[in-house]
Amino acid sequence: MGTDVTELFVVITVIAVALIFDFTNGFHDSANAMAGPIATGALRPRTAVILAALLNLLGACLSTEVAKTISGGFFDDSLITAPIILAGLLGAIIWNLVTWLVGLPSSSSHALFGGLIGAVVVGAGITSVHGWVIVSKVLLPAIVAPLVAGIAAAWATRLAYRITRKTPSVHSNAGFKYGQAFTASMVALAHGTSDGQKTMGVITLVLITANLQASGTGPQMWVIIASGVAIGFGTYSGGWRIMRTMGKGIVEIETPQGAASGAATSATILASAHLGFGLSTTHVSTGSILGSGVGREGAEVRWSVARRMVFAWLLTLPGAGLVGGLAALLSDQGVPGVVALLVLLTAACLVIYFISRRHRITHANVTDSHEVLVLAAATPTTYADDPRLDTPKPKKAKRPKAKSAA
Amino acid sequence: MHIDWAALGVVAVVSIATSVIFTILLATGIRLVSAAKIKSNEGGSGTATVSLGYVLLGIAGLLVLFGIYVIVPQFH
Repeated sequence: MGTDVTELFVVITVIAVALIFDFTNGFHDSANAMAGPIATGALRPRTAVILAALLNLLGACLSTEVAKTISGGFFDDSLITAPIILAGLLGAIIWNLVTWLVGLPSSSSHALFGGLIGAVVVGAGITSVHGWVIVSKVLLPAIVAPLVAGIAAAWATRLAYRITRKTPSVHSNAGFKYGQAFTASMVALAHGTSDGQKTMGVITLVLITANLQASGTGPQMWVIIASGVAIGFGTYSGGWRIMRTMGKGIVEIETPQGAASGAATSATILASAHLGFGLSTTHVSTGSILGSGVGREGAEVRWSVARRMVFAWLLTLPGAGLVGGLAALLSDQGVPGVVALLVLLTAACLVIYFISRRHRITHANVTDSHEVLVLAAATPTTYADDPRLDTPKPKKAKRPKAKSAA
Repeated sequence: MHIDWAALGVVAVVSIATSVIFTILLATGIRLVSAAKIKSNEGGSGTATVSLGYVLLGIAGLLVLFGIYVIVPQFH
């Protein structure tokens, strides 16, 4: 009886934490589809995230076939237990939040795999992890994705400019903006079908291991809807810090360039998803934006930002793995351990949230600057760009007005 | 554990080719439609150019539809 209650508690916790991961997945990847159109003004920031959120929700509901394994071949499926999944999810969530704080795009799937691998290493030892799979499924794709998407975007950008050289920019911009809106929507829809599945797979697996669902059955309707809604809300919330890095930080995106990089992103994502060589959406879209910067004459690509992103990608697996491993020490200690983990997770989320409030980035100021500041000491330059953020004066001025209006 | 180099090659070629083709269609379509508009503003007739432009944009649109077909599992 006591064990049943414990198991149920763990199952419910895993489901809740899986939905939180799904949310961070959405807001981390919102920029993949929408950073370009927002930067060029093809879509207004609010419109863009609402559209992306709805398409993610739709995509999640469309995907019928849920990933059968969540181990990804990195280790033996039999090692997966509810505490391991819980620890892995925690590692992925923390990694997603930290990279969001510093405004760096990184792959949510890599974070999830990293967290799970860390948890498995703590539970079953380093030898249980298949090292080759890490090379073939993480390292190689992380090099291939930006290269392929980058080459595609660079060529497409060069052609787009060459073909429309004599076309008045009023006409060409309007046309390219349409193209950009369509390709971005495709990326959002494809993201929903692929990433929504991850959370559904996790929840379904936990329900099956707890004998709450028959083995071999697909996700239940509430699981599909909950996952779709979580990823949709995450996407809607925007992840504006990452949006700024991708839309403004790497390179200034002009409209033809945005259309070309959008075409490259959607073509590469669809090809990789359906022709058997999986690439991360995040790496593909970042590569496209970089490539489009290389392809446009006179564009200044900020390679320092690109370099930081590559470091973040390389650190994703070990970083999330470290947190996942530490979490695994607590997650199999029964109810007290799980409760302690939840408290720590909440504390970590709050700390990161409050640090992010020092330099808030919202839909209103996302395209104002190219820098994502974390600490006040970093550089005060962008402070001046955004008077709403630091000066107390407007507040004082507003109060008497509000009173007089009342 | 092996690496599927063939799949990687196919993905690379298809991705690059599709991006370039889509962009050529879009950019050429935009250029032709714009040229036709300018011509008709100047009093000439740009009917032939404008229809070719819209045909190219239409093919680009078909590519988008094909993309949606690929994404939605219910279609295949």
